[in-house]
Amino acid sequence: MTGGRIFARAVAAPSWAVLVVFLASCATTGSGTDAPAPAPASIVDPPARSGAPTILIAMPSSPTFLEVRKSLVSEVQRSFTVHTFVVGPETTEADLAAAIKTAAPACLVLMNNATMNLYRQYQVANRTAAMPPAILLMASFVEEAQARLRRATGIVYEVPGVTAFVNLRSVKVPGVTAFVNLRSVIRAPISRVGVLYRPAFRKFVARETALAAKEHVELVSMPVPNDVTAPELRDALHDLAQKSKVDAIWMLNDNALVRSPAFVDDAWRAELSEAKLPLIVGVPNLVEPSSPLATLAVVPDHEALGLQAANLLFDLSENDWQVERHPLELPLSVRTFVDLKLVRANFGLRPEALKYIDHALE
Amino acid sequence: MSDPPPKSSVVEKTLQQHLPDLSVTVFGRLRDFEERLAAGPPDAVLSIGPVLRQHGETVSLQGYRSGKNVEPYVLASVNQPLEGSLAGKTIGVVELLGREGTQAFVNDLLQTPNVKIKRVAKIEDLLSLLEFAAADGILLPGSMLRGLMERTRLAIKTKELPGALVGLPAVAVLNPAAREIIVKSFQGLDAPTKQLLGIDSWRVP
Repeated sequence: MTGGRIFARAVAAPSWAVLVVFLASCATTGSGTDAPAPAPASIVDPPARSGAPTILIAMPSSPTFLEVRKSLVSEVQRSFTVHTFVVGPETTEADLAAAIKTAAPACLVLMNNATMNLYRQYQVANRTAAMPPAILLMASFVEEAQARLRRATGIVYEVPGVTAFVNLRSVKVPGVTAFVNLRSVIRAPISRVGVLYRPAFRKFVARETALAAKEHVELVSMPVPNDVTAPELRDALHDLAQKSKVDAIWMLNDNALVRSPAFVDDAWRAELSEAKLPLIVGVPNLVEPSSPLATLAVVPDHEALGLQAANLLFDLSENDWQVERHPLELPLSVRTFVDLKLVRANFGLRPEALKYIDHALE
Repeated sequence: MSDPPPKSSVVEKTLQQHLPDLSVTVFGRLRDFEERLAAGPPDAVLSIGPVLRQHGETVSLQGYRSGKNVEPYVLASVNQPLEGSLAGKTIGVVELLGREGTQAFVNDLLQTPNVKIKRVAKIEDLLSLLEFAAADGILLPGSMLRGLMERTRLAIKTKELPGALVGLPAVAVLNPAAREIIVKSFQGLDAPTKQLLGIDSWRVP
C-alpha cells in the first residue's frame, strides 16, 4: 500500500450517527497513527476530580463486567470522581462497608447478585443510617434485588422478548425485498411466539406478553411444572408447534429448562428438529451450526449497557438523587448471534439481514 | 434509502477493499474514536459534519446525495406526531458527540433548550426506547426512518423539523502530504460504496 491511514466515524447514513473512519495513507510516516492501540483495560480509576461527587462501583473483575465499567467510566469521568471496589468470593460486608466509608459516594453502582447481597447485608447492619442511592446492573432478577434494598434502581439484565422477536424478524423473513415489503404490509412474519415457563416466571411472562403485543406479536405461553421432565417438555413444545401453531419458540433463560446436554437433546432438539421452528435463546452458546438448535441468540450489549447506566446516573444526579422516581429500566441494546446455515436451510435469509447481525455463524 | 444501517465492520471491510492505498479503521462509537485520536492523529477523518466540526477539522471533500450536502432529521413518535412544545419531553438520539455535545446538537435541531435526551449506542436501539415507552420521541436522519419502520409494527408518526439539516459524510485531510492520494482515492469509489456511505458523489469545497 502506498497511501494513507484514515479513521472514519460512520456517523449518519450507514449509521453515521455512530461511525467514524480513520484514514491513513500507508506511504506517509510520522503521523503517529502507527502507535499501538491502548492496552487492554485494567481497573485503574481516573484521577479524582476536585469538587465532583463520587461514585463507587462495586463489581467483579471478570471481562464482561470490565466492559460495562469501561463504557460507564468513559462517560462519567468528566463529571464524577470514580472509585472502583472489586468484589470477589472472599469479600465481606465489612470490606464493602470500609469502601463505602472511604469513598463517601454520592451514588453506588453495584454489579452482580453477590455484590447486591453484600450491600443488602450492609443496609441491614446500618438500618438507621442514610443510604446513598444505588444503581443495580448485570444481575439476574434485578426486580427482586431492588425490592430488598433501600434507594435502589437499575437496569434489568434479561433481554426483553420483544427485542428478540424484532431481531428474529430481521433474519427470518424469506424472499426478495419486494415480497418482504408486501408481507410487512399485509402479514407480520412472526405473529405468534410460543414460550414455556415455570411458575416462578409467571409475572415475567405476563410483562413480556404485554410488551410483545406492542409489536403485534402474540406470546403464546404455556406453564410447565417446576420439575418438568424432558418428555413433558417435549410434549409441551409439540403442543405449541402443532396445536397452537406458533411461528417461533422463545426459550427463557431458566436453567431448569436446559439442565443438561442430554435434557436439551431429548426435549428441545428432538422436537424442534421435527417442527422446524426458529428458536430464540438468550445465550450464544446454543447457536452452533455444527450442532444446530437455536436460530437466534439475543444478549445484552455490554458496552451499550455502560452508556445506559451513565445516562441513568446523570438523570439521578440532575434530580437530586431521587432514586424513587426512577423505575428499573429495560436494556436498550443487544447483540445478535445467528445460525446462518439453519436460517438458509429452513427459513430463508433476508437480503439485508447481515446488516442486522452482529455474529453470523455458519 | 431503505436499507438498514450497516455494521461498522461492514463499512470498514468495504472501504478497505475499495481504498487499497489507504489504511482504514472504522469506529462505531465516539469513545473508541476519541481514544484512537488521542493515540495519534490519522492522515484523514471521514464523518458527518457535526463530528468533524466538533474536532475542529476542515472539510476537504464533501459528500452529496441527490445534489445536496445535508440531510433532514425527523422526529418520530408512536401513534401521533409530537406536536406543540417539546420542552420537558424525553427525546432519544444516537450518541454522537458526547453528553454535552449531543445535548447541544439536539437542542439546536429541535430549537428547544430544555429537552431531555436519552442517548443510545445504535440506531436500532431507538426502537427499544419507543417500545418500552422510555422516550416521547426519537430524533434520527430521515434516511434512516424507513429502515427503522420496516423493523417494527409500532405506528410510527413523524414530524418534519424545518431547518434541521445535518451535513452528510465528508473527508477532512489532516496530513497535507497525503491530501492528493486521499482525495483521489475517495473520488474513485464506485457507486455502491458511495451508497454505503449514504452519498452519491463527492465535491471539493
